[in-house]
Amino acid sequence: MTIFTQFVWLAGILLEGVILIRAIYGRFLARYSLFYLYIASVFAASTFLYFVDIVMPSLNVHLYWYVNFITLAMGCGVIFEISRQVFQHRVTLDRVARWSMAITFGAIFLLVAIHAFLLPRWNAATNSADLERDLRIAQAIVLMTILFLAGYYGIEMGKNIKGMILGLGVYVGASILSLSLRLLIGMRFHTAWSIIQSSSYLAALSIWAVALWAYNPGPAPRPPVSGGEYQKLAGRTRELLGSINEQLDRTTLQ
Amino acid sequence: MIQFVFSLLIGVALLLILYFFVRGGKVSAEGSAQQLLEARQTLDSLQFGLLPNDLVRRIFAREDLEYVRQAASPQIQSLFLAERKDISLAWVRRVRGAILSLMRFHRGHARLYAQLSLSTELLLAINFARLLMVCRVLEIALFVRGPYAAPGMVRTVAATAGTVCAISEKSLIFLKVNPIDPLKNDPSHHGASV
Repeated sequence: MTIFTQFVWLAGILLEGVILIRAIYGRFLARYSLFYLYIASVFAASTFLYFVDIVMPSLNVHLYWYVNFITLAMGCGVIFEISRQVFQHRVTLDRVARWSMAITFGAIFLLVAIHAFLLPRWNAATNSADLERDLRIAQAIVLMTILFLAGYYGIEMGKNIKGMILGLGVYVGASILSLSLRLLIGMRFHTAWSIIQSSSYLAALSIWAVALWAYNPGPAPRPPVSGGEYQKLAGRTRELLGSINEQLDRTTLQ
Repeated sequence: MIQFVFSLLIGVALLLILYFFVRGGKVSAEGSAQQLLEARQTLDSLQFGLLPNDLVRRIFAREDLEYVRQAASPQIQSLFLAERKDISLAWVRRVRGAILSLMRFHRGHARLYAQLSLSTELLLAINFARLLMVCRVLEIALFVRGPYAAPGMVRTVAATAGTVCAISEKSLIFLKVNPIDPLKNDPSHHGASV
């Protein structure tokens, strides 16, 4: 194990521990339950793999990808948590984010199933980098959907949620780029990939540690307005746009 | 290779969106007084400053061009055309900006509702985009071919933006301040006078 790997590993475990301790100490662990479940799972996995690496280093290589998939799946929970928090009082927007989650992750798992059935030599363990990249792409698509919707409707977020998004985004973005380059260039890129992957993860943990140092959910939104009022607003705007379109059509005929 | 390019694009797009997310300005408070006042000012500037028929007719009046063609030298003619082009471009840019403000106002209002109609919102977004695109096309047409390039389009932008105002007016009616009736301003009844 190189000094850099050793440093990243230990720093990661330390930061994960700090994030968990701060949440327990500040009594907001339950507020972001899925996020902390993910942190707890990576904390357990990193500690376990660290000791395996000391006791039986040969086993670590095989275990790494399996553990990685478990934490990758738990990482989807972080996206679910982000969507839940950002669209807390917006039922429809939350539904859109969940649908995009279901569609993208469903498509990836369907692809894996098709590969597993149709290609006899294909298996998840040997194509783990492929699979990880595809899952990271699915995460990126959902994250971009959430950011687009939040930006479009100007939804305010607190420091905690902003940090969660930024940390996850940096890690997912860097992972996609490095995994894609690794698959293109091959094993020559392995060292660089390993450094990018661990550094971006450490960056994500640092962002999370700062953003979630204390409970800060952001400004409380105004109570939502009833559906009847929305129908009035939508009706008015529909009426307006109907006449706009009519006039646009007239222009094209002129 | 296609897969590689696609994943590379997704990765770069995510990092770019994150950059703008971090850099993004402060979002105004939901339905804040400032937001409502800005919407009111935008409406006023559209209705009374940018869209009156007389103003639109004056900017794009063909009679002016014909008069200058008959009475002035070629240098004056080209100066006239250049100035009219600048004015018409400034006009269409301001109309576009005002429509953008109104669109932002609609979105700012829509976010207050817990249950939006997805199809309606999607349709509205497409239609707003279409109107903005017409403004942009008009801007390009005016830039390339001068102020008398697309009279039909000018009328459309003015008329449709006018309709936008009329309907937005309804949702902002409560912001109109009623003038104080001098007869009712009696200190003997209320204890104070304005």
